Amino acid sequence: MTEFVFYTIAVGLCAFALLSVTVGDVFHSAVWLTFTLLSVAGVYFLLGAPFIGVIQVLVYVGGIMTLFIFAIKLTANIGDARIRQFTRQLWPGAVLAAVLLAFLLAVIRANAWSARALPPVQGPDLKEIGTELLTRYLLPFEFISLLLLAALVGAIVIGKVKK
Amino acid sequence: MISLGHFVALSTVLFCIGLFGVLTQRNAIRFLISIELILNAANINLVAFNRYLAPASAEGQVVSLFVIGVAAAASVVGLILIISIYRQRQSVFLDDFNLLKW
Repeated sequence: MTEFVFYTIAVGLCAFALLSVTVGDVFHSAVWLTFTLLSVAGVYFLLGAPFIGVIQVLVYVGGIMTLFIFAIKLTANIGDARIRQFTRQLWPGAVLAAVLLAFLLAVIRANAWSARALPPVQGPDLKEIGTELLTRYLLPFEFISLLLLAALVGAIVIGKVKK
Repeated sequence: MISLGHFVALSTVLFCIGLFGVLTQRNAIRFLISIELILNAANINLVAFNRYLAPASAEGQVVSLFVIGVAAAASVVGLILIISIYRQRQSVFLDDFNLLKW
């Protein structure tokens, strides 16, 4: 059962990701990215991390994808399917990515840890994540809020139309 | 039986698709989309290693939350820069951004 779910999500994830970097229309590319991100959320649920999955759906699908679609619509008449979308390094880039993929998969196969089965104990629950976040990782947590504030202010300043 | 290697292999495939996108996209928005794919691949790795190698701790999941936060900030600033450049040069194609190229 778990195998079936895993392979379904895995095949979907790879297909959606490939489509999102190869389709002609940028808007379609954003839609395929949405499906990719939802599949990644599915992987998190499968890994026993429902909180991360929910955050993934909220932040990525709810927030970042809306931004992407806004950006695509604000830069209108560029999303035309007839415009060339790839640089001249299309085939060298594809070959490089494929060679790296083959190499990394060989490395993963050769390592002992890759055959490690799922441990019988349950993964961390929400309470543990919250405790870690507000005790050991308090400083990075606060820095993230500072970073988000800086991004917010920076985006307003850069995006403001100068009169 | 799904082992740790399955999840790491899945995230490797996702990373390489993102790398392919970064190397070949001409449109700046699709370039950012490829970067999101790479960040998601890293996140899958973090959560998978957390679940398989240290199931008692929550560190991998906490770090993956930070990655999601940084990715959100990065894409906000990246997209607003693209929109700002579009206003000035009427283009989102990376080979048109040659103002600093001599």
